[in-house]
Amino acid sequence: MTRTVLITGAGGVGKTTVAAALGVKAARSGMRTLVVTVDPARRLATALGVEELGNEPQPHADEPELWAAMLDASASWRAVATRHADPEVAARLADNEFFRAASEHFPASQSYAAADQAATFVQAQAWDLVIVDTPPSGGGIDFFAAPAQMADLVGGRLLRWITGGPLPGRRAFYNLAAKPVLRIADSVLGSDLLERVAEFLLDLRTTYDGVAQRGREIERVLASATVFVVTTSDPAPVREAIKFYRELPGLAVSPAAVIFNRILPEGWAEATAPPGTSVVLEQNLARWAAETLRQRDTREEFSSRYGAHIATISWSPKPPTDLDGLARLLDDSSDLPWEAVGMRAG
Amino acid sequence: MVSGKGGAGRSAVTAGLALLGQRRGLRVLAMEMGSPGGLSAHFGTGPLEFEPMELRPGLHAMQMVRSDALLEYLALQLGIKGLTRFGPFARAFDALATTAPGIREIITIGKAIWEVREDRWDVVIADAPPTGQLGSFLRAPVTISELVPSGRIRTQAETMQDMLRDQSLTELVVVSLPEELPVTETEETLAWLAKEDLVSPPTVIANRVLDELTDPDTPPGPVGEAAQLHRSLWAEQQIWLKRLPPDHSLPYLHGVFTPGEVAARMADEFEMFT
Repeated sequence: MTRTVLITGAGGVGKTTVAAALGVKAARSGMRTLVVTVDPARRLATALGVEELGNEPQPHADEPELWAAMLDASASWRAVATRHADPEVAARLADNEFFRAASEHFPASQSYAAADQAATFVQAQAWDLVIVDTPPSGGGIDFFAAPAQMADLVGGRLLRWITGGPLPGRRAFYNLAAKPVLRIADSVLGSDLLERVAEFLLDLRTTYDGVAQRGREIERVLASATVFVVTTSDPAPVREAIKFYRELPGLAVSPAAVIFNRILPEGWAEATAPPGTSVVLEQNLARWAAETLRQRDTREEFSSRYGAHIATISWSPKPPTDLDGLARLLDDSSDLPWEAVGMRAG
Repeated sequence: MVSGKGGAGRSAVTAGLALLGQRRGLRVLAMEMGSPGGLSAHFGTGPLEFEPMELRPGLHAMQMVRSDALLEYLALQLGIKGLTRFGPFARAFDALATTAPGIREIITIGKAIWEVREDRWDVVIADAPPTGQLGSFLRAPVTISELVPSGRIRTQAETMQDMLRDQSLTELVVVSLPEELPVTETEETLAWLAKEDLVSPPTVIANRVLDELTDPDTPPGPVGEAAQLHRSLWAEQQIWLKRLPPDHSLPYLHGVFTPGEVAARMADEFEMFT
């Protein structure tokens, strides 16, 4: 049985680092562990031993139980066409200007690609633990909604509306109700833009059954995963983290913990400088004490308002650049729900 | 337009610039282009609406709402009136906007440009999409021109392109942090902007920059620990500030609690820039 851990949260809070650190800890505790990342910082990619972008998991040279894969979201999206459409349609889709645009700009596309790949790795049953560093879009919420959104795009309310329901064949026959509106659209957009979009959607429609079925599989994998939300104490990422408590119930994956990253030592909040301390150092302590206090208030408010399990990771000024550094990052994090990821505290 | 990597402080900088304009007696419109929340928090107000609301004398703020912007765009710029927000055309167009490239972006940027051309404001300050999406956004008028051979939307797109490129009308601010990923992303954005020539070269602002600690002592206890942490963070920031020297730096605001206070402090800093 493969355990799945999803590391979610806003961009820039250290999600990838947390995913990697957890991965190192797990591998060193004897679990065969795969860390799946999206676009890591170069120093972190080096530490994980994944310098090449590619969807194939690689074992780490110095840590035999630690595997890593770096996702190429656009390649995964193209796989939708090759997997779910017949070869002729797939080739036509790959060449299509709208398909390229949709794979790059459709809001859920990167999230869908990551979720699809992650589910594939989990289903392979080749690892004890698969840790997924999710794309930051929507603070990670998008990741859960992506399979349904993808099916909606492919199943297409736009397509149904233009063609009037059931599939009419290769050529779109515009339904009567749509006609007057299409005339307006033509004058706005130029003559055949909507028709070209409709033809693209008709091709994409042939992948619908496959995409919808795959979407349900992905959703099952996501629903059985352990979710961690990573944030710093800054208002913007905290707002994203709150979404997991305000908007998530429908998606039925409640976070096992909110991990506050870059936490200052609690003791600083009340610390005062002894007599004889220089003004510069005294003022420096005072401002970091104020920051410590702000961090503590943020955590306490989050936990009392949403009843979330709060965990913390100490602020390390230099980002870790090797496996030991990554493992050390979680040394003070006894408040992490370690059992949820198959490990014991410490 | 204020862009930057997610989490770098775009909304705070947008709000700070808007407050600065208001302090100088300008008629300011602050516009949230992305998802709601960031900008309104920095102004200490409830949710913003599509219709600009006056937050204090001279300062208005609004939230971009695609369906409203589309109807306004069709009515005012293309002369198609009498459509409703939940009518079939708006619904179909909204679905089209999620499929066809450039449509969503051109509606958003079109609204900003419309407000600039209006005589209601001295300055329009937009909390623009993050740098990751900035490319498709700034390129939207060109994309439309390539996809649509004729039609009124194409004529509009060409006007927008000219206005974006006009340095006296449009300025871009990119907010970054002195850390690896934000600096790398900012460098990529700057290189792309230089290549595409869609707007004049942006102003780069580094946010949360620490000052150098002038006392080298490390006494035992929290005083020394705080000094050590500060020096290490400062040294790490210097690597990235040297790699991408910003036009301006904003200080790390220790212990500032509310987004409203952050915006006010930013406006204070901007006063010192000029």
